Amino acid sequence: MHSRGRLFALLAAVCFIVAAGAVVSAVIAQRTGARTSAAHFAAFERPYLVFRSLSAKAGRSPSGELAATSVAAPGRERRSSGRICDRLHVSATGGICVGRGDSLLGAYEAQLLAPDGRVRHSIDLSGIPSRARVSPDGRYGATTTFVTGHSYAAPGAFSTQTLLIDMRAGKVIADLESFTVARAGRVVDAADVQFWGVTFARDSDRFYATLATGGSTYLISGRVSTRTARVIRDNVECPSLSPDGKRIGYKKLVGTKGKTWRFHVLDLASGTETPLAETRSVDDQLEWLDDGHLLYGEGGAIWTVPADGTGAARRYLARADSPAVVR
Amino acid sequence: MYQVQDSSAVVAGHRALLGRRTAERRIPRTVVLLGLTSLLTDISSEMVAAVLPLYLVYAAGFTPLQLGLVDGLYRGAAAFVALASGFAADRRRRHKEVASLGYGLSAACKLGLVAAGSAVGAIGAIVMLDRVGKGIRTAPRDALISLSTPPRALGAAFGVHRAMDTTGAMLGPLVAFGLLALAPLAFDTVFLVSFCFAVAGLGVIVLLVPRRSARSAGEPGPSARVAAGLLLVPRFRAIVVAASLLGVATISDAFLYLALQRHLGLAPMAFPLLFVGSSLAYMLLAVPIGRLADRVGRGRVFLAGYVVLLPVYASLLMPAAGLPALALGLALVGASYAATDGVLAALAAATLEEQVRGSGLAVVTTATNLARFVASVGFGALWTWAGLDTAVIVSGIALVTAILATAAVLVATRPEPAHA
Repeated sequence: MHSRGRLFALLAAVCFIVAAGAVVSAVIAQRTGARTSAAHFAAFERPYLVFRSLSAKAGRSPSGELAATSVAAPGRERRSSGRICDRLHVSATGGICVGRGDSLLGAYEAQLLAPDGRVRHSIDLSGIPSRARVSPDGRYGATTTFVTGHSYAAPGAFSTQTLLIDMRAGKVIADLESFTVARAGRVVDAADVQFWGVTFARDSDRFYATLATGGSTYLISGRVSTRTARVIRDNVECPSLSPDGKRIGYKKLVGTKGKTWRFHVLDLASGTETPLAETRSVDDQLEWLDDGHLLYGEGGAIWTVPADGTGAARRYLARADSPAVVR
Repeated sequence: MYQVQDSSAVVAGHRALLGRRTAERRIPRTVVLLGLTSLLTDISSEMVAAVLPLYLVYAAGFTPLQLGLVDGLYRGAAAFVALASGFAADRRRRHKEVASLGYGLSAACKLGLVAAGSAVGAIGAIVMLDRVGKGIRTAPRDALISLSTPPRALGAAFGVHRAMDTTGAMLGPLVAFGLLALAPLAFDTVFLVSFCFAVAGLGVIVLLVPRRSARSAGEPGPSARVAAGLLLVPRFRAIVVAASLLGVATISDAFLYLALQRHLGLAPMAFPLLFVGSSLAYMLLAVPIGRLADRVGRGRVFLAGYVVLLPVYASLLMPAAGLPALALGLALVGASYAATDGVLAALAAATLEEQVRGSGLAVVTTATNLARFVASVGFGALWTWAGLDTAVIVSGIALVTAILATAAVLVATRPEPAHA
């Protein structure tokens, strides 16, 4: 009986040490995650790539960590921040990390990051995160969430909410649905209007986005200051403005059977549309690597393709998505 | 090994002879140790139960309906495992070993959760194994409690066990959410800490709970026919029928709290607090009501446990009263648990021959679980089709009927006063 008592004391002690060790290491992991993120924004010379680094563990829920790597040698050195995001976008003066909040129920929130990586503000979101963008000067941000449904691939079976955010004040400026949008000289006031995929111009005030109504999508060009926008083209989803502000990369619906997208680049001045060399149907908002190349996430990796329709798509960075080039 | 057990049996016998009176009043060490096992195991399983829905929805995109359906199926499977394990424990006279197997299986499941990640199939299988573990251990453990306790103190012994069990069930979610507050989304850590509690609980039963006296070790266990003949014993059959009738007529916990929350217009966030409130009352009242049952009769207290639910049902039909009324209602629900759960085990154990304790208690557990399942489905359907008020009225009438019928059956089969 005595020896069994001693054995139990030993077992209880081991249990206690293992449990305490697990808790302490989890707390330390959390703390160090927060600390390294503070140092990482200035980690590389500009331009550098900020992205979502996907965990290598198979079978896990895909958790992506905000990470950075150099544009010149992508992947040679990956610096992870410990901050978990579902979608992110970053510019030189701040960023958005859309992810689960610290609340126990884990609702989604947009964490507005300062240039040093600290969370400056957070804004509660409803729905599942889809897109995030920050304007080049870091003044405004935009998020798109699926309020119902979870994919753009089922027309009519989803609804989105796109918010414009004042990054410094940490406040929602407006839901894009409150903007006045004109199409062929008339105000669009259909009940089924939806918006997604915002991209900002260099002055931050001008933006482009997707408008969907009546089963079709349109490219709109708008101004934050006047809360107005107008339709400038058909069949454009998730636009992304080039650094020189002259072209827009986007996904275009092709074919009639099901949802098949192809990436295209539109020259804003001439209206010329150029299909890109990527032959797969990819659902992502493009990011410009430089004026000649684009980046996008597909199948758990970041890919690159030339902007002039030549060449071929090639893998740029493994175990990553949500690319953002900090210039 | 044998000698140690023999001598401990001799010591126990001496004690029983020397201090017969005090021994009857004191709660046996085995019962307290089994209570400790349950406390630790319940911290472990309630930690997981509290975060698992969150985890499943976060990691695997489960809907509440899927969760509920799967859960119902697993409970059903566990009920039948309970019958088999109760009989096996009697047959081999290995209550401690069979119960330990159940605790061990549930402990292993916690470690399995750490390894499973977000694989839905694996999580489903683990949750099922965990329920099977619970099914395996309940009847042999209750048999062990009843076999280690003098008949007069059965109510108090089960009261002590259930109070400790409920303490664990209340601490579990607190520990889990405390951990998640320290390290958000660290589900792996929650599962690992849960595993540690489970191993400690397993350690208590395996290393500290003494094996039952070697007195009966040589005798063969009951045959399947003897176990099957249990239901021919009038008093035992009456208890099983009574427990089933009352179980069917009772509004299940989740629905009762949902009805209370709707009726009083409480915020959804306050919902878990209703569980906490009634569990607190249960924890505090389990021992005194168990002792009371030993003194004034377990059948009476058992029935009174259902009578106290009637004012709670009635309050659902009256204009919403304030918080004091809610507190009183939760106290009554807690008192009802205290007067029915452990007391039922004591009531049934007292009518069962020692050699069929495990099988008999398994029959009672399975019958009440099935009855609760029927009650849950029935009340849910009534609420959906006829509205909450009608559902409550129907349940109230059914409960009054069941109480009267049960009283008649229990009185008719009342044992000789000397035995009570």
